[in-house]
Amino acid sequence: MKKTLHALGMVGKYYLYGFFLQLLFLNLMHAAPTKGQSSLDIKKVYLSLDLREATLAESFNAIKKQTDFFFIYDQGLADASHPVNLQVEHQSLEHVLLSLASSHQLSFKQVDNRISVREHKRTDKQNSVMVEVTISGTVSDPNGEAIPGVTVSIQGTSTGTATDLEGKYSIVAPEGATLVFSFIGFETQHIVVGSQSVIDVTLREDMASLDEVVVIGYGTQRKADITSSVATVQSEDFVKGGVRDAAQLLQGKVAGLTVSTPSGDPTSNSQILLRGNTTLFGANANPLVLIDGIPGSLNTVAPEDIESIDVLKDGSAAAIYGTRGTNGVILITTKRASGDYSSSVDYNGYASTQSILRQLDMMNADDYRQQVEAGTRLPSWDLGHDTDWMKEVTQTPVIHVHNLTFRGGNRQTNYLANVNYRNFEGIFKKSNNETLTARADINHSLIEDKLNVNLGIIHSNNSYITTADGGSFNGYTYRQAIIRNPTAPVKTEDGDWHEQTSLFNYENPLARLYESDGENTSQNTRLNTKIDYFPTDNLKFSALAAHTRYDQVRGYAETKKHISTLRDGRNGYASNGTTHTTESLLEITGEYSNSFNNHNLSVLGGYGYQEFLFRENWMQNWDFPTDRFSYHNIGTGNALREGLAPISSYQGVSNLISFFGRLSYNYADKYLLLASVRHEAASQLYGTQKPWGTFPAVSGGWRISNEQFLQNSSLVDDLKLRVGYGVTGTQPSDLFLGVAMLGYDRYIYSNGSWIRTLSPIQNSNPNLRWEEKHESNFGLDFSILQNKISGSVDYYIRRINGLLYDYDVPAPPNLYNSTRANVGIMENKGWEVMLNFIPVQTSDFEWTSSVNFSTNSNRLVSLSNEQYQATQEFFTTGSTGEPIQTFTHIVEIGQNIGDFYGFKVIDIDEQGKWIYEGREGEPVNYENFAHAFEDKKVLGNGLPGYYAGWNNNFRYKRFDLGVTMRGAFDYQIINFQRMYFENPTLPQYNQMRSANDLVFGKAVLDSPLEFNSYYVEDGDFWKIDNVTLGYNIKVSKDSRISAARIYASTLNTFVITNYSGIDPEVNRLGLNPGIDGRDKYPSARTYTLGFNISF
Amino acid sequence: MKIHRSLLAVIALFLSIGCTELVDRSYDRIIAEQFDATDQDLASLVGSAYINWRDVILNWDGFHRAQELSADQLVIPARPNGWVDGGVYRRIHEHKWTSDEGIVVQVWNRAYAGITNCNRIIYQIESNIIPIDPDALESTISELKVLRASYYYVLLDLYGNVPIITQFDVPVGFLPEQSSRREVYDFIVGELVENVDHLSESNDQSTYGKFNKWAGYALLAKLYLNAEVYKSEAEWEKAIQAADMVINSGLYALEASQRNVFVTNNENSKEIIFAIPFDENYVTEWNAFDLHMQTLQPGSQATYNLISTPWGGICAIPQFIDTYDPDDLRLINGWIQGPQLTASGEPIIASLGTLAGQPLSFVNEVPGIDYSEEIHGYRLGKFEIKQNANVQLSNDWPLLRYADVLLMKAESLLRLGNIEEAAALVTEVRERNFPQNPEKASVSGADLLGGSNYSYGLDNRQENTVEGGDDIKFGRFLDELSWEFAQEGRRRQDLIRFGVFTTKSWLNHSPNGDDKILFPLPRIALNTNPNLTQNPGY
Repeated sequence: MKKTLHALGMVGKYYLYGFFLQLLFLNLMHAAPTKGQSSLDIKKVYLSLDLREATLAESFNAIKKQTDFFFIYDQGLADASHPVNLQVEHQSLEHVLLSLASSHQLSFKQVDNRISVREHKRTDKQNSVMVEVTISGTVSDPNGEAIPGVTVSIQGTSTGTATDLEGKYSIVAPEGATLVFSFIGFETQHIVVGSQSVIDVTLREDMASLDEVVVIGYGTQRKADITSSVATVQSEDFVKGGVRDAAQLLQGKVAGLTVSTPSGDPTSNSQILLRGNTTLFGANANPLVLIDGIPGSLNTVAPEDIESIDVLKDGSAAAIYGTRGTNGVILITTKRASGDYSSSVDYNGYASTQSILRQLDMMNADDYRQQVEAGTRLPSWDLGHDTDWMKEVTQTPVIHVHNLTFRGGNRQTNYLANVNYRNFEGIFKKSNNETLTARADINHSLIEDKLNVNLGIIHSNNSYITTADGGSFNGYTYRQAIIRNPTAPVKTEDGDWHEQTSLFNYENPLARLYESDGENTSQNTRLNTKIDYFPTDNLKFSALAAHTRYDQVRGYAETKKHISTLRDGRNGYASNGTTHTTESLLEITGEYSNSFNNHNLSVLGGYGYQEFLFRENWMQNWDFPTDRFSYHNIGTGNALREGLAPISSYQGVSNLISFFGRLSYNYADKYLLLASVRHEAASQLYGTQKPWGTFPAVSGGWRISNEQFLQNSSLVDDLKLRVGYGVTGTQPSDLFLGVAMLGYDRYIYSNGSWIRTLSPIQNSNPNLRWEEKHESNFGLDFSILQNKISGSVDYYIRRINGLLYDYDVPAPPNLYNSTRANVGIMENKGWEVMLNFIPVQTSDFEWTSSVNFSTNSNRLVSLSNEQYQATQEFFTTGSTGEPIQTFTHIVEIGQNIGDFYGFKVIDIDEQGKWIYEGREGEPVNYENFAHAFEDKKVLGNGLPGYYAGWNNNFRYKRFDLGVTMRGAFDYQIINFQRMYFENPTLPQYNQMRSANDLVFGKAVLDSPLEFNSYYVEDGDFWKIDNVTLGYNIKVSKDSRISAARIYASTLNTFVITNYSGIDPEVNRLGLNPGIDGRDKYPSARTYTLGFNISF
Repeated sequence: MKIHRSLLAVIALFLSIGCTELVDRSYDRIIAEQFDATDQDLASLVGSAYINWRDVILNWDGFHRAQELSADQLVIPARPNGWVDGGVYRRIHEHKWTSDEGIVVQVWNRAYAGITNCNRIIYQIESNIIPIDPDALESTISELKVLRASYYYVLLDLYGNVPIITQFDVPVGFLPEQSSRREVYDFIVGELVENVDHLSESNDQSTYGKFNKWAGYALLAKLYLNAEVYKSEAEWEKAIQAADMVINSGLYALEASQRNVFVTNNENSKEIIFAIPFDENYVTEWNAFDLHMQTLQPGSQATYNLISTPWGGICAIPQFIDTYDPDDLRLINGWIQGPQLTASGEPIIASLGTLAGQPLSFVNEVPGIDYSEEIHGYRLGKFEIKQNANVQLSNDWPLLRYADVLLMKAESLLRLGNIEEAAALVTEVRERNFPQNPEKASVSGADLLGGSNYSYGLDNRQENTVEGGDDIKFGRFLDELSWEFAQEGRRRQDLIRFGVFTTKSWLNHSPNGDDKILFPLPRIALNTNPNLTQNPGY
């Protein structure tokens, strides 16, 4: 018993003494899909008791029957206690526990729905009689609202009281004593009693609450117990206004998680990169996204319907997800129904518009005419008009989003329903994205709360206009607007689109938009159910089943006025296609947890089965009698009948089978341990020798601040050291690479007719196995100066062994000259720093600030194994596209991924020809430069060396202002726009004004298009991204409205950079990052006005 | 507790019905273990070994390009719309290629893919994986061996010293040994001699696109014709014998017009001995047969009403065009020249480069490999470009044709001193090309002993030199080959046999060493097989 008390003392700051209750605040919104769909907030759980001469055990059982909580206690303690007499009517559980704590010298500790009970013996000797004063006052929050229930105690004693409903308290304390004001979710305040008799206290919200619950996969953990690198972002910290998907909510918020939106297309998703690239050919190149524990995508639920997002960054955290966790795990927790709710309705909505972030400075009609006058352009290029093509193809879009959430029910049965409607227009004409999502979540508990059932359904309908065959917007249309002659009219005098069909790759962008017509519509439905069964207090069995079905229907047509007919003779074109996927999931888990003495233990075991089905078909046809039917009557075309048009269908099925287990243990809240293992097989490895892989992980933590020597530190609030190691894997993305396959391949002419050949289609590799990522993570969490400064530092090393690569093999004897094999080793290393500050905090004004910083270096260590040796030390990747037609990147063993490889410009000669750097570093004039592979050099790297973010929130009275800033540094971009549009030798396409500038101040360029270092620029940037100004409208207490807020917000607000292109935030995924392509949907700046109201 | 137990039972049930099996269902390919071949599959299985010839000859950076762009008839100069492509075409033109070039790597890969396919099918037949009628066994195996020899012929010609692999079921980690060019020659000739007589003697639909006995002999003649190059020992008599086998079969004849060999539907031509069939609907690999796309300018789309805009690049080297007799139909029909008109007769206007806006008219002038405008250079028109053609043409590729057999025999006779008989054969081939001036068709033995009409020497906007072709032994006969077989993907081989390839200059090309007679082994092949040694000079 003494030990226990000692331990209780150790955690001092977070426990309250004496007859007060220690409880762990649980944000009920965080409740994982465990039993916790019902309320886990003891302040919000109400019950009625009539206990007369009851034992403690009986009392606890009585509480359990009415709530979701069960109690863990020592039988001896329960037996020894005196009887309980307690009668309450609709009182909070907190109140009940307080009473018991006081009457029976007990202390309670709540973790999830477990409440452990300990005896609290008074060991503190009361001070001898001293001068005592009666102190009273009011405790309020920074808004001036009174806080009832605040614990006011005298430090070092067990004396204390609590504030009443008006936030008032009164206590008798000796002079010189220290009053401790504590309340869950707020920082504890210490005030020394002087001679004053009134002490009013304003409690500040606890920004770095260690009692928050973090979702860790198959359960939750207290933030204080976390031993791996996990970041949590709550909805109040999300990026606001006009966000496209869940990932954009996190933009700039999490160190090591890079979210970028390189495309302005309203249908495109954010790009996510977590701690660098991990795979070349693996199935899982992106983080695993789980929505309430079930795999999905960033679009499965609307961003406004998300309560919090947890990011499992390191291998020890993600390894419980085995093969899917290699790129980290993003756990999205939606707003959930729980507990007793008087029915509530929340509405939030906003309207946005956008403008293009930046425009290329292209020549206009006047520039053309000046060139004609100057004799540098043939007069035939002046077509007599003045057209701003970008203006013609763009629009001022209207975006509006509406989100409605209902909650209701009682402790036994409760529900949440959400409807979200998103209507996005894009900055280009005929580009949009419209989504309607509905979600319902119902909880029901039965058999004396031993059985909890949760049912969920998510359904979304999406549709968008397509002006590309099967896709939303064709970036080539943007290129056409850029390169089109500004003196050309949009339409001819006859009212036809102005086209010049003999010009190669030159099409009227408006005709491309308006003579094409298409729509992609899709629906996604997810049904899920979870059953939790609690045979005993310490045991829990869960079964989770989910079925997700996605269906897309595509149609697209081009009229006879489209270039496909005018130039290519299609005579009308149409295509139709459908995609269908289903994903079924079954997970069965069992969990045992217990606490005895200082040992807190939880063991989880489970089985998972996932099956995926992908099915698609598509058809094309052309040569139509009329445009009238668009894509709706594809059989009227002739091409299919003539054997010219293709038709296709495909189906693929795969599955994933897993067994997993996890042990979490802590001793006295000081020494923390988490170990997990997953044993998994994937059908992509069917027929290989080792389809099963085992992925272990272990992590440990030491809460140094709970050690004696830091116990009473006034500086350090919390200090925790973390070390973790975990293995995750990735299977190949393609099916059946391990076995010999025959395919109906190309046609051969045989005996007068064309027949399909049947032949092997790959080198089989029975040794194929999982890619394995071994990740070590070292971290430190800290909080100092009453949590005014808190943060974490992490260092990670990721080593991917058995990296899948298409390895060159001699053919013969092999059938093909490359085999996909586990040959490579890739390494990612980096630092992540996250710092939170509260520089100013008064009742009227508050400023909180958070800084994050991360580095990443990504290196290819090796590309060989025992079986596959030697080969060249590099391979090339990336493409400039026509007409330059060369690769852009080199991936070399021992070097960083993302290296650009091309000719290095030293100078330009008087004729405007490049002078290149030769193989020995000597200058070589253009004519003598061989342009060979050996003449190329590394010109830069497209992956940023480090990233930073700085988020600030200001609150003044009812106003709040949030500013999100982020940047990426130490990287380069290949500016394709300059490469293609800044070359004056191509008069047939419009050029940037700068094309006629002197290169290096010496001569106007007169070399053909070429990929060289002149077009490689530094990409470093700092973006003031999201700025949000809000006002909380005061609502009277008796009004039906419980809260209301209006805000204005901008996204992608301002960029500081030397990069000359539109947006330095370009693609960072894959092996050829850092290309700013010429065919794209430029990124946009978004302006938003929004309104939230709750009833 | 009862519920507890039953739940455990449910869980146990889940685990036992097990779902621990991996899905083995494939809907687009066949898992080989699950496949049992039938007679019906035979043509599909055996046919796959022929496909590689399509890739070898015409696919991007194929044998055609290796043979032509390195020689003195065709060039891809820089165009207003590109075709610099990292300088690769210039390097090939100037004989400065590396072991990483597309032509070096691709031809190697594609030819060996054909060899491996032959090895595989032979193995599958011999081990009864592919069921076959015993009567057809010998001829099928022989056909596959001759086909395999034809792929080795490509490797012999381009790389010389290559590994010979004839087995499919090699042990894991097996790496083949390199053979000398002479050994490779001996192997091919041995295989052909041993197998050609087992092949079908028919020349009809059943053998079209396949090796019959006569195609085998034509290939054998080709080997003997180049024997001096391949093994430093001439085999002119044997070349004549092999050619005579084809001639005496009586199954082949010259077309009345050379053009008939190259029309869209040329599959019934009596002149074709071995064709590689193409079809716009069935052979749809992007670069399957796209010479028209590579040679025509974008504006030419309107001439042929093409489905796609052509890319405008490859053209004739003016010095070569100048060698033609102006009345030669092969010049008139084989090269697209002069003002270009739409299908309805309207002039086409150039849209690119400094001459944009002016009429598109192909002139016999190329300023240099490094610069050209749309109008520069006659374009490849030997193969008919049909109206409304797609990116892929349907014309079959006549790899071996009767005119070739006649001229192989003629060359051998000439080199053996039987000049008049040679001249008669040359005249026979020439006759159809001078309908208006029959006298021009006639060639004498003495003519054939003369030099070449080609005015060799640098000929570009920077530099012009005069080397001429008078000193080329049998130069006139080389000219005959150049006129008859222009654009057919073989010029390099002929230039080597006549000693011109590494000795003369043309356009921007100057000799760059005799080692250039062989291409280097691809770097990638050396890297994957330590038994290989690079050819000298690389």
